[in-house]
Amino acid sequence: MKIADQYIQYVKNKTEAEPEKGWDKILLGFQLNRLRTHFLPKPGLSKGYQRLEDMMMGLVARSLRDGDSYVWGNIFAPSEIMHNMGLNTLSIECLACYLSGFHLEDFFIDFSQSIGLAPTLCSYHKTFVGAVESGVIPTPAYAVTTSLSCDGNLNTFRFLEKKNQVPFTLLDVPYHDDEESVDYLAEQLKAMVQEMEDHLGRKLDLDKLKESLRIENETKKELIRFYHLAQKHYYPGQIISQLYLMMGTHLLIGTREFLELVQFMNQDIQTYPEFTGKRLLWVHLLPFYQESLNQYFSCNEKYQILATDIVLDTAKELDESDPFRALAEKLLDNVFNGSYRRKAEIIGAIADDLKPDGVIHFCHWGCKQADGGSVLLKEAMKERNIPMLILDGDGIDKRNSHDGQIKTRLEAFLEMIEEDKA
Amino acid sequence: MIGYICKYTPVEVFEAMGEEVRRIEPEVTSFNQADTLMHPNICSFAKGLLEDALEQHYDGIILTTCCDSIRRVYDVLKEKLPDTFVYILDIPRITKDAGIGLYEKRIRRMIQEYETYSGKQFEEERLLEVLREKRGMKAAEASGTEASGTETSRTGANRMAAGSEANRQASNTSMEAPLSLQPDHLNVGILGARANESIRRILEKHHVNVAFDLTCTGLKRKLLIEEDNLLPGYVRGLLTQFPCMRMEAAAGRDQLIQTYAGSVDGVIYHTVQFCDNYSYEYAWLKEGFQKPLLLLETDHTRQSYGQILTRVEAFLESLQNGETGSAGKRKKIRERRENDTMYVLGVDSGSTSTNAVIMDQDRKIRAFSVVRTGAKSGESAERILKEVLDKAGLKREDLTWIVSTGYGRVSIPYADENVTEISCHGRGAHYFNPKIRTILDIGGQDSKAIKLDERGEVTDFVMNDKCAAGTGRFLEAIARTLEIDISQVGPAALTSTEEIEITSMCTVFAESEVISLIANNKEKGDIANGICRAIANKAYSLMKRVGLEPDYMMTGGVAKNPGVVRAVEDKLQARLYICPEPEIVGAVGAALYALDCCHSQAEHMV
Repeated sequence: MKIADQYIQYVKNKTEAEPEKGWDKILLGFQLNRLRTHFLPKPGLSKGYQRLEDMMMGLVARSLRDGDSYVWGNIFAPSEIMHNMGLNTLSIECLACYLSGFHLEDFFIDFSQSIGLAPTLCSYHKTFVGAVESGVIPTPAYAVTTSLSCDGNLNTFRFLEKKNQVPFTLLDVPYHDDEESVDYLAEQLKAMVQEMEDHLGRKLDLDKLKESLRIENETKKELIRFYHLAQKHYYPGQIISQLYLMMGTHLLIGTREFLELVQFMNQDIQTYPEFTGKRLLWVHLLPFYQESLNQYFSCNEKYQILATDIVLDTAKELDESDPFRALAEKLLDNVFNGSYRRKAEIIGAIADDLKPDGVIHFCHWGCKQADGGSVLLKEAMKERNIPMLILDGDGIDKRNSHDGQIKTRLEAFLEMIEEDKA
Repeated sequence: MIGYICKYTPVEVFEAMGEEVRRIEPEVTSFNQADTLMHPNICSFAKGLLEDALEQHYDGIILTTCCDSIRRVYDVLKEKLPDTFVYILDIPRITKDAGIGLYEKRIRRMIQEYETYSGKQFEEERLLEVLREKRGMKAAEASGTEASGTETSRTGANRMAAGSEANRQASNTSMEAPLSLQPDHLNVGILGARANESIRRILEKHHVNVAFDLTCTGLKRKLLIEEDNLLPGYVRGLLTQFPCMRMEAAAGRDQLIQTYAGSVDGVIYHTVQFCDNYSYEYAWLKEGFQKPLLLLETDHTRQSYGQILTRVEAFLESLQNGETGSAGKRKKIRERRENDTMYVLGVDSGSTSTNAVIMDQDRKIRAFSVVRTGAKSGESAERILKEVLDKAGLKREDLTWIVSTGYGRVSIPYADENVTEISCHGRGAHYFNPKIRTILDIGGQDSKAIKLDERGEVTDFVMNDKCAAGTGRFLEAIARTLEIDISQVGPAALTSTEEIEITSMCTVFAESEVISLIANNKEKGDIANGICRAIANKAYSLMKRVGLEPDYMMTGGVAKNPGVVRAVEDKLQARLYICPEPEIVGAVGAALYALDCCHSQAEHMV
């Protein structure tokens, strides 16, 4: 651990001094970290989460090593299509998280603000833009983003297209989940494929895409099974494990590799003891660096994060016979689309199924769509007699989070749900 | 009455059903309901809208999926106003045929729902009439604009060429975004997010012409009439307006912006607090923009007026290059006997201290004084007048001209004229050291970075947001927590041996962070140094925003803190010039403006 810390400090200093030279060292760091998780299992962490971390580290290291084999995306970009064309997708969210592993987020965020981006903008986007603009991250040949959930996507990618000439496709996801929207979006997906084929000289294989969707359907069933098993078993993970799971279900969904991992987790979890503590349903992003949250939710027998909406954002069964419509339907069905009333109903249904002891809604700095709905969700949970806690902070930027405040609120909430059950 | 907010709203459809439709322009005093029903960190316009919608009684409120914040306002209003027709209209981001087709279907569905709700009927013939009526009115308006355009061509050769070129381009774009230049006036353009009336009011008060306003509230309606294809044509017109930042086509905004900007003196780029979409465009335009550009953030409350005023006035002053001042030109200087020395007074009324400087006709400082600003800035003003006159051995009648500056500049009863502290700091800095190009001023409640040219004229500036982070107040709060005197924070920081990072920049958060550091037995000197470095980081990014050009100077009360000075110098990797009394730089600038005024009036008299 000591050596890793020193390495992180070294990369941070080097990158801040000469941004354009920092990249190779970060890259090396990714690979080293991968080696570390590969050979040195983290004490206490379950095997499944360990493998998940290894897989996600591998995805990033591999993609970055072979520069032309990946595209930028946001978390909702249809990675199934990119995979089909032999491309990995690295999302803003994923890259920002990794960079903050080197404690570089503050440097990148300040960089973005110094070129004029708003201090109130989401720190994932600022970290990402700062990393690109300071010359640390090299640019790929293409990017794909969606309008789903977040205003920042279109603007970030448009900005980077103008500044760094990375062409991108915007998938405009309509607000209503109806037939007209499916038509509109499916056509955009087809046009995107055409665009990418022309631009990158790669070909889409429709049969393989159908196979991916079949694997995706199976993976989702396995995941739901995993959550039901997690209700019963203590399966030690870290806060960041939930983020890895989010990345897996978005950036690797439809791959056999990821399906097999979830199947392994379902086997593995059954070898763990019964869980008798409190189960929590987490809504929205997780500040994986936060000390107090780690203390309560990382490998703790008394408290376990049961599931998060960022992983379970759609359970839609995909019709593999018509892949473009199916992928359009999947995006429209997403819990982040439409009204917060709809979101509250979906969260409510998940709660009815998984029966958590409480819900925690994390208001990430700059995320208007989540922050603005938090009170409505709390009211909706109240109707179902599910206690809910709203926490304010920042998924990445430590300067916008206050551990002391989070700790007090969290402890009071946990005391409250303990008493409830007593 | 039906309220709406977004320029893509099919307003005429409701008018065709006989409804009165009004754009909601919230100007509220608090966000109490919005903060409880939503969250404080939501776009201020959206919060203002929520307050307004809950207070007023609209029969219908038509929102659009224009941004994340508005989507949540819809969710809340839908719950809180069950009897009102609260509707969200989904606007495609793609304005090609697929988008237009989808939007037409969405509008048809909304019409159906409104018919059911209101019992009224929508008829296309009526829409056609409304469109024709409005088009007629617009044509008349447009010809008025053209008339003023012709007038423009008679003056200023340069501007005429640029202006007519821009006018031609504009007519290609359509009549929705006219450019109207006025000779003998300062011509300013407005860009960015929806602007409220207060900016226009300030500009009007200063006789500045708004040559163009490309914000969504400044554009005119774009109404297309295709008689055999009425609704699709109308929808096409709506969707193909000058695009806002949420649209896919926004990449093309540049062209018109650059053309229009070429013909004005300066551009105000307006953003709304917690609306981040436009900051991308600002960041893009800022680099190498051909004209002075002011970033102006507002929050749609009445209280923010004072802040807007300072920024806009300072910007106008920098555009006029020295032709500063409020009431100056109307008043006449006090007469004095020939051969008597002329004295002027500059007063800087800040939030923490009030500073005064008496200067003679040879630009020599005769006396200065610094007093703590009390609860009433007017009282401190009287106190300092007496004090500085005593020091100089002068009487009130000996002062020929008095210029006030600073946050309380309008509350100095005896001032003849007032100039913003930004211009005054520029002048003052140049007076002390003409090599200065970048000034960092950290005062009691705000901090700013100012960029000067070689003549000492302000070419750019930025101010911190409405927040005490990184200011004198912040240091005061921390000194209190550390239980040391404010003057000891800097010296204590210099004794530091361990690096401590203060992560929170919010005054309240940082205070509790400091409390936990104390609880962990950390040394006061190390904590103080952490605080100084946190301030320096914030100051450095402020300075970077105007561009780092040596020599550097630091002014304001915080420049007396050696800990902060050292931390800023470390960050800059350069020395800061600090004059013997860093608090009086603004007052010196004000006195210099007073001298200017005396000289120019004297010339006029000759």
